[in-house]
This record gives sequence, structure tokens and C-alpha cells, in this order.
Amino acid sequence: MGRVISSILIANRGEIALRIIRASKELGIKAIAVYSDEDARSLHVKRADEAYHIGPSAASESYLNTKKIIETATTAGADAIHPGYGFLSEDESFADTCEKKGIIFIGPNSKAMAVTGDKMKCKSLMRKANIPVIPGSDGIIDDVDKAESIARNIGYPVLLKSAFGGGGRGIRLVKDENQLRQEFEIAAAESKAAFGKAALYVEKGLERIRHIEFQLARDSAGNTRHLFERECSIQRRHQKLIEMSPSPVVSAETRQQIGEIAIKAAEIVNYLNAGTAEFLRDKEGNFYFIEINSRLQVEHPVTELVTGLDLVKLQISIAQGEEISFKQRDLKMHGCSIECRINAEDPFYDFAPSVGTVGQCNLPQGPGIRVDSYLYPGCTVSGYYDSLVAKIITWGQDPQEARSRMKNALREFSVEGISTTVPLHETIMNNDDFIRGDLSTDYLDRLNILDVMRREYRDMSKRNALVAIAAILLQSESIRRTGGDFSAMKKSARASSWKNLGRSGSGV
Amino acid sequence: MEFKVAESQQEVEGEVVHSLSEGLVILKINRKEYRVRLLKSGTDEVEFIFENSFHHAKILRSNSSETTILLDGYPLTIKKHFRFADLIYKTLSSTVSVGNNNLTSQIPGRVVNIVLNAGSVVKAGDSVIILESMKMQVAIKAHKDGNIREIKVKQGTTVGRYDVVAIIE
Repeated sequence: MGRVISSILIANRGEIALRIIRASKELGIKAIAVYSDEDARSLHVKRADEAYHIGPSAASESYLNTKKIIETATTAGADAIHPGYGFLSEDESFADTCEKKGIIFIGPNSKAMAVTGDKMKCKSLMRKANIPVIPGSDGIIDDVDKAESIARNIGYPVLLKSAFGGGGRGIRLVKDENQLRQEFEIAAAESKAAFGKAALYVEKGLERIRHIEFQLARDSAGNTRHLFERECSIQRRHQKLIEMSPSPVVSAETRQQIGEIAIKAAEIVNYLNAGTAEFLRDKEGNFYFIEINSRLQVEHPVTELVTGLDLVKLQISIAQGEEISFKQRDLKMHGCSIECRINAEDPFYDFAPSVGTVGQCNLPQGPGIRVDSYLYPGCTVSGYYDSLVAKIITWGQDPQEARSRMKNALREFSVEGISTTVPLHETIMNNDDFIRGDLSTDYLDRLNILDVMRREYRDMSKRNALVAIAAILLQSESIRRTGGDFSAMKKSARASSWKNLGRSGSGV
Repeated sequence: MEFKVAESQQEVEGEVVHSLSEGLVILKINRKEYRVRLLKSGTDEVEFIFENSFHHAKILRSNSSETTILLDGYPLTIKKHFRFADLIYKTLSSTVSVGNNNLTSQIPGRVVNIVLNAGSVVKAGDSVIILESMKMQVAIKAHKDGNIREIKVKQGTTVGRYDVVAIIE
């Protein structure tokens, strides 16, 4: 172990590629980008020291093309590969290939990843080590009668999960035996179609769950630290929307206690580099370990803002074989941080994906505001990749200040040409339960947040009606004065293909 | 002229009273006069000070009956001559079938599933075609009751925004 990295190939795109490019440049390391056809004009290509084309737009032929990426790393002479999140970040065979080719994979080794990637195996290891896990089947179930007997034992409601699902896919809530028998059949068929076998498991359905996770770092000498918690309870369809640190319900005592459990979990799987131990907390305040995410998380910036650490630089130093330079007791939590994920989706239209060319765009600025985004005027938001276009992260002395700054930032955020989830975040920032910290993974449904958002939007339209009419009158007046409708129509027809923000009443 | 804000269903009357030089425009909205300072104007964009606050509006789409603008970052749809338009709509709908037969996609994406084939009977809101975009699956739903006369796309093809994907009669 112990090799100095002088160049990193970043096997990713979008904001996370930019994040890694920035860290690399700070350390004087050459940042090598890769890009698909669709991304040739993307910001990560412009910001990197070198950029290599790796294939067509479809991710399966570019950012997931292990062979091409390894070839490119070899051609470019990259010492290391940083996978970012998503794509190949949790692919143990990719990590394994890197190891065999002598390229440093910035993340856990393939052995640790094989354990963390198999949720069932991981859970049963934790159970053996007396780490609390959610009651449920110990191992994969392929038989509906067995599933039923376990469900009866732990009590309904139960969750039926696919062993290979992720990001909330393949999870079903089952309320009674009848429903279990129906859903099992469907879930088994799906699992079989996707992975070749019916690999399901059953676990107890908890109520008013909070998703709380602990950031971990472990070096090759076995030094393990936890970097406190992030609460990620505000989700939509199991996808995180808002994350924060600290969690409003984690006391200093709980933090220490669960933090130590997280460290133990990392040691059990012989983890390496940055990772996250995810827990669920039920309404009684019990914590249950669910999994270790073996990658840099989307929401890592909230931890950076409250700890003052740079997680990507920490990852690189661990990958070089260096020991973590700080002790657990050196770490202090300072202030409060919130992250809003801004997705290119229309929140007024069932979160339909919104793609297109961006016109003008304004990213927020000011004290305590950080924006990680690949947007720039004239860039393309593509339908080929996920919809995250920006992360707004704010810091404040206390939750109140972080939230006020987030409200400012959301107000300043504007991007022409696509719809974004900003209005949803604005509604949440003003919601009483959010302000009180009364969160749970069913937050959006429990409080009908989408209805509140629509109502607020209608009220705002009402307040702005006169201004809107003024705008229409002024515009028609300026057309009248500058030479009539014909040229205006021509211009508007030419431009309309990318000015596609706005909603339509019918269709999808 | 009469307007209606689609989102709030408000009816508003407005007209340009006077257009002075130096970017000063007198507007009359709901019988009240406003002196508005026009800072920037183009065919699809205006910037102005209205009641002591700055506003920016961009025209996203416009036709003879309605205009969609992005006002300070938020889309709003304004209908013009709405009373007249409503009247025509009501008259027509009693005798002729409403709207056209084209089912269009509101988003670009790749066709991953064709749920209903030509010849099927559909009700408004039924899923006809499933698109994939940004790793999400989105249904294109029938815009009206009827029979599917034709499916215009194949599995795997890419469709653009506003492309016609099916004909429903």
C-alpha cells in the first residue's frame, strides 16, 4: 500500500464529476474526465484537465462500460479511478478489475463491496454481532408459505423486498396474509426477470420511520471514524429530497452510541474508505441498522459543512494509503446544514422528467450557501441520465439560520428551459412540521405537501395576476412599436423548441 | 381587453392607455391606472417596475387565445378574450367532438412499452404508452374517450416533446 496518486479518471458526469475535479485540482492531481456523445458540451468536460470520449449517450454504452473506461484509464495513464455515485460506484467487479489492472479504485475494495452489496448477508453478519437490525427473514426466501409464517411471527404490516433492489425499488408494504400471497407472486416474478432468481426477503413494517445515516471513514490501517449523522427522512418514492445534519432528534448521547455502532459495522465488513451506515429510527426512538452504502453519497456536503472536512480529499488520501489524521474526539459538529436536491422534474405535473436546453440560469449566492451543479446558460439537461441538476446546501449557526438561507437560495435559483422541483422545496421550507423537525419518510403523504404546494402556487398566481397582465400588455405594446407581429412570431417559433418550461393541461 | 389567469381563474381587464417616451407606459388594469417603467423590452421578454418592484417576464408560448409566461421564474398562463373563447368552446362542444384526435407526448423519452394497441377502446386517463426518461417511467395517457385508430410509435423509438404518438377517434 501507499502509492501517490498524480492523476484520477472520474468515471462519472454531472455535479459529482465537477466535485471530484475540484478536489483533484486542489491537490495538484490531474483530473481526467470521460464523456458520452450527449455530454460532449457538459461542464465536467470543460473543467477537467483532459477529457476522453467513451461512447454513445446511453449509460450502458458509456458510463457503465467497464471495459471502455478501464481502457481509457490505461491510455490516459490514470493512477486512480473515482467512480462518484451511481453508475459503477458499487460494482464490485469493476473495483476488482481496477485492482487487477493496478489502477487504484477510490472507494472500498471489491471484497468489502461484495459484503455490503449483499444486503441479506450484511444484515445477518450484523445480527450475529449484536447490532440491532429490523426483525425479519434471516436469508433469502423463495417460497410464499415460508414468507407467510415469518410474517405471522413478526406481525403485520411487513415489507416484501427484493434482495437486489436499491433506491427503494422493489419494496412492497403488505398488510395481511391475502395481500402477501398476491404481492409475493408479482415480486418473485419481477426479481426472476431482473436477476434470474426469486430473491426476496420479509421484514417488519415500521411506522413513522426516520432515515438517519452515519458518515464513516476507514483507512487501510483500520482506523475508523464516524463523521456524525445526516437525517434524510424527507423522501419521495424512496428517493431522498432533503438531507440535514444534525438530525433534530439525535442527542449527543445517541450520536455517540449509534456512531460507535456504525464504526463497529464498518469493522465487521472490513470496510475501506468513505461509506455510510444507514439506520432507520422508529417512533419509539429505536435505531435499526439497514445497510452500508459503499460510495460517496449525494448528500455528503452537509457533513462537510458541519465538520469542516473535505470528504473527497479524504477519500483520495485514504486511497493513497495514508492514515486518517484526526481522532474521533477531535471531531466537532459546528452549526447546522441542509441540502435540497433540485431535480429537473415538474412538481406540478406528477414529477414528469423535464429535459431540454437551458436558457438563462442563475445559481444562488451569499453567506452560508453552496451550490453543486452542472448547469450553465446553454447547457443541456438530458433524458439519458438521472434528473439531479443541482444541490443547494446551506449552513447556519442553528437550524433556523440554515433554513432562512435555504429560502433565500431557492428564491434566487432560476433556470429557464426546464422545470425543477424548487417550488416543492419552498413549500417544505415553510412547513410547520419541517420547522419543528417532525419528520418521517412518509412526510410528503402524511401532510399532503403536494396539495399545499399547489395551493401556495395558486395563491401566488392570484397575487401576481395584475403583474402578469401588465407583462402581457407591455409585451404586446413593445411588439406593436417594434414592427408588428410577423417578426415576433418568427422569432418565437424559432426559439420555442428550447423554451419549453411550463405545463400543459393534457397528454402525459 | 379581458384576460383570465388560468392558474387562479381570476378575470382581469387591462389595456394600454398611453405609451410615453423614456420607457414610461400607462396601463389601466381593473379600472385603475398604473405608471409602469419599462426597462427592457423584446419580442419575447420584458423587464419592468410595477408598483415599486422589479419584474421579469419571458414569453414561453403564445397563440391567439392564450400566452404562457415565465413571470419572475414561475410559469403562468393567461387566456385572452376568454368570454368569447368560452362561448365558442361551449357552442362547438355540443355539436362537434372536442379537440383533436392526436395524442401527444408532453415529454421526450424512449418508448419502453405500448400498453394498448390499435383497435382498443380507451377512456380518458388510460395509459396508452410508457416512456422512459431520466430513469423514470412515465405513462402517456389517453386525452379523451374513444378508439385507438393508430399507434404512431414502436417500442424502442425515441419521441420528442409534442410528438403525436397515437390517434384516438
